[in-house]
Amino acid sequence: MKKTLCAVIALGLGATAALADYPEKPVEVIVGYSAGGGTDVMARTVSQFLEPELGDGASVVVKNMPGAGGQIGFTEVAGADADGYTLGTFNLPAALALTHDREADYDVTSFTYLANFVEDPNTITVAASSPYQTLDELLAAAKADPRAITVGLSSLGGNDHFAANMMASAAGVEFTIVPFKGASNARTAIMGGHVAAGTMTLGQTTNFPDELRVLAVLADERSAFRPDVPTAAELGYDVKMSSLRGIVGPADMDAETAEKLRAALSAVNANPDFQTIMAEQGNPIAFMVGDDFAATAAAQNQVAADIWAQTPWK
Amino acid sequence: MYSDLLSALPNVFAFANFAAVIIGVIAGIVVGAMPGLSDTMAISVLVPFTFGLEPLVALGLMAGIYNGAMYGGAIPAVLLRIPGTPAAVATTFDGYPMAQKGEGGFALQVAVVSSAIGGIASAFALMLLAPPLSKVTLLFGPSEVFWVAVFGLASIIFLLGGNPIKGLISACFGVFVSVVGSDPIYGNDRFTFGALELLDGINIVILLVGLYALPPVIDLLETPLKTDGVTGSKLGTQSMWKAMPRMKGFWKTWLRGSFIGIWIGILPGAGGSMAAFMSYNEARRGSKTPDTWGNGEPEGVAAAETANNADTASALIPALTLGIPGTAVAAVMLGGLLVHGLQPGPMLFRENPDVVFGFMWQFLFGAILLIFLGGSLATNSFARLLNLPRPLLGSVIIVLMLIGVYSIHGRMFDVYMMLGFGAIGWIMDKLKFPLPPVVLGLILGSFAEENLRLALRIGRGDWGVLFQNTTSLILVALTVAVVIGPILKRRLFDAKAKA
Repeated sequence: MKKTLCAVIALGLGATAALADYPEKPVEVIVGYSAGGGTDVMARTVSQFLEPELGDGASVVVKNMPGAGGQIGFTEVAGADADGYTLGTFNLPAALALTHDREADYDVTSFTYLANFVEDPNTITVAASSPYQTLDELLAAAKADPRAITVGLSSLGGNDHFAANMMASAAGVEFTIVPFKGASNARTAIMGGHVAAGTMTLGQTTNFPDELRVLAVLADERSAFRPDVPTAAELGYDVKMSSLRGIVGPADMDAETAEKLRAALSAVNANPDFQTIMAEQGNPIAFMVGDDFAATAAAQNQVAADIWAQTPWK
Repeated sequence: MYSDLLSALPNVFAFANFAAVIIGVIAGIVVGAMPGLSDTMAISVLVPFTFGLEPLVALGLMAGIYNGAMYGGAIPAVLLRIPGTPAAVATTFDGYPMAQKGEGGFALQVAVVSSAIGGIASAFALMLLAPPLSKVTLLFGPSEVFWVAVFGLASIIFLLGGNPIKGLISACFGVFVSVVGSDPIYGNDRFTFGALELLDGINIVILLVGLYALPPVIDLLETPLKTDGVTGSKLGTQSMWKAMPRMKGFWKTWLRGSFIGIWIGILPGAGGSMAAFMSYNEARRGSKTPDTWGNGEPEGVAAAETANNADTASALIPALTLGIPGTAVAAVMLGGLLVHGLQPGPMLFRENPDVVFGFMWQFLFGAILLIFLGGSLATNSFARLLNLPRPLLGSVIIVLMLIGVYSIHGRMFDVYMMLGFGAIGWIMDKLKFPLPPVVLGLILGSFAEENLRLALRIGRGDWGVLFQNTTSLILVALTVAVVIGPILKRRLFDAKAKA
């Protein structure tokens, strides 16, 4: 009995000591996409600012594990030891959408939600040469001839796809969905007039003001990057969809470690230099920490589940 | 747009970026000079090692290797009548007879100057054509891209020469490999057997390294090459200053070879070896003394070597503009560009002008450097490479292959897959099945499938969408021509033979 008690105390002490020292080895941030992409750049920027916040000599290393639309990376994070040394980037709704349309080894409960950094709203966009000047004109055409309006997007089961679906049901129209391989291919097809419209995020339109016309942004408020573009809500359609990027850890992370990480990530967000760099990269910041982030993830999971139930895409 | 071309120039001369081109050219000549080791192999084995480098260092290396290898192949072609690369076959026709006459040195000088000229012409073609063509690419929607892929597959099967049936079987194998992974529209798993590693399909570099590097290495180890010692004295080398005046009548051949090489390069499918053959035949037909050809005519070497270098940079035109690589090397280079975040298409030239145009300059300098690095003195040393102990060389290549493939995703799964493809490639090689159609089958097969399905979605199931505009119809006509052209030619030839 005495021995057990000693052991428990020793363990307890050990745990506290370990926590006080956290991190005592490099913290790995797993990115489920290749180096150089939007998520990777965010992870590297956050890591760079996170190191000093975690204390002396802390080291944060980005590790790319691309493949299967991010699934390989998300699975790796979900299955890692919840000791705070393995974190990962988390893309909503993509990461959770793929738990509905295929066998995945994780779900919405497999993660400790630390902090979300970026929220890039989807849009309804046409080519600059398109005959449709407003969202209403586009939707009128879709109503007049169901499925005649082709909508190019980056892949099925992502935010582009959900945006198109939600827009169609809000307006009571039908689109023909054309899923390209990647946002950039979809954008080229829109610019070339091969599809009538697209739902790419606002960030993906920024470099092409002369080639693309953004008809509406699917967010609560107009974007600071494009204040001239109305929201869908202003135009009478209650549609909101966006791409979110944040940082998570495996589920059941020790509460103190999680709090320490959340505090450090909040400090990163508060850093004006960080804000400047993110703005330069064209990343609209929507910082959410802890429970707010978890609630958003749950909501996004519900959206994906509903769309999957109503209109399964495969 | 062309002002971006000039503003990209200074960065090319940054020490690391320029050194990369020099190292690439030397490495390319070495690899090209080793019989069996091709440019495709060198680039695919080395490309995983460049992922961590700065973009222009990585791309400079690749541009250098490509240029170097296309010339390096001429060295054993001339000295041993063994083409160092498949594209150097036509170089043996006159190069080897020249070497037997004691003019091997001059043959190599002709080869290096011609290679450089072809490469320079090709680099200019890339610089001048790619930016305006990248705007035309907006015309290429799913149905047009589908036809480009079909055209490329048809031309690799029917124009590569040899046996079209074997070509077709090889291409089908490649297309089958392209089917592995999640399908391009719905993301359903196909032939993945539950392996997450296969969900994204099979990486082109894994296939290339297996097919192109393992069989020659096995050959390297099992058949010791008898060279009876190549030495400088046998080459009959003279200084470049004396050699140059003897080439002054070659300008027509250089011009013709450059045009043929550039054109063949732009068309997806056929590559360097076909350009060299065509250029050789055309030059011979235009010659006043066709009888000397095949018996050591320096102009024959010039024709072949100009054309096989002139398709290098131009092969990147469809890759950079449409995102469709027409050759295996272009596919690997495109992979290299993607790793560095450069997305091909109309945006490429606007979003990353420094890297893209810098890469083009590197092609140009790679070609110019050939003259200096492949000049007479250096060529003597390169020729001695043929005496290197082959087991040593083979083992070094195998180690590079294993590390390179492992490093792509950091997993052994890929290494086993590469070894599997190597075994398949070795068997195909022994049975004389051509390997290029496998690679193009993998690349173009997925383009064809994805874009056919997208086109049909856009057309709401109506197949007429594939024939709706001029661009599509031109591509259909070209495809038909490629398929029935060789058959008609054979018919005509038979009729003539009978008459």
